[in-house]
Amino acid sequence: MMALLRGRAVQLLLRLLLGGFFVYASIDKILAPAAFARVIYQWQVTGPLLSNLGAVTLPWVELLAGALLVLGVWKRECALVIALLLCVFLGAAATVLARGIDVENCGCTSLARSEATSSGWPPSWARGVGWFLVSRDLLMLGAALVIASGAERRAAPERDAATPAA
Amino acid sequence: MRIDWRRFVAILALGAGAGLAWNALSGRGFTLTRSVLAQAGDQLVKAQEAKVLLGKGALFLDARPRDFWRMSRIPGSLALPEDDFDKSFPPLEPALRHARAVVVYCSGYGCEASLVVARKLRERGIDAAVLDEGLPAWEDAKLPLDRTPKP
Repeated sequence: MMALLRGRAVQLLLRLLLGGFFVYASIDKILAPAAFARVIYQWQVTGPLLSNLGAVTLPWVELLAGALLVLGVWKRECALVIALLLCVFLGAAATVLARGIDVENCGCTSLARSEATSSGWPPSWARGVGWFLVSRDLLMLGAALVIASGAERRAAPERDAATPAA
Repeated sequence: MRIDWRRFVAILALGAGAGLAWNALSGRGFTLTRSVLAQAGDQLVKAQEAKVLLGKGALFLDARPRDFWRMSRIPGSLALPEDDFDKSFPPLEPALRHARAVVVYCSGYGCEASLVVARKLRERGIDAAVLDEGLPAWEDAKLPLDRTPKP
């Protein structure tokens, strides 16, 4: 199973999907940082000042890590940065669920979703903080860790090849 | 799993730096040190200042949905829910116009209802302050809550 997950095709697919998702997720937030801060306020986790700082910096970390992952640059480190972000999101979601706070729009991908309720799509279970968000983030966390561990196999021959020349 | 931690930190630092620069230079940014919900003209008071105002006879208004006010509230506060403002305001208007000071609160820094109610009051010529970070800030300051159920 691990050999399959570390295969080049699977690694490439995971990189494109995960990196692409994070690039896509960052765009709306970068274009409207104040609107993203409003969304983070609804989570009621960090207070307004840290929420503001997160609203300004997190989308750019998402964009950078996602873009580099798609391009295949610093793959393991980018995958780990994304894993770290996902752990933060999952921890915050756990506190929101534990406190019973109703977050109408998680702000995970698109801020426009909060105005899209009249169309009925995406449905509320996909917009808010709930089992869908937790499942999706756990799935992406698994993918990020597979990428981070998978890149190691190709690193070893590079080191071996470099040794005789040294 | 071999990780180059300098690269890991560099991604975080470059991303954060780019975000701060974008916020400062793009024209889409906002002031990091204050709530994005607050607008020019909004008057925010901290919990301790609000307590002083309460001691001086200020009238407190709860902008949350009425059911929350029924469960618990700042002592002496009246319900003026943002979602029911037009119906709830007229009976309270005489008291509001004669109050020494008015302070509106809701359920926290993510809640905009108190700001909206205070702005509506200002439009009607009633000066109203907003409890900064709402009821959680009041509780964090160990200030009293009235938990007697209201009908």
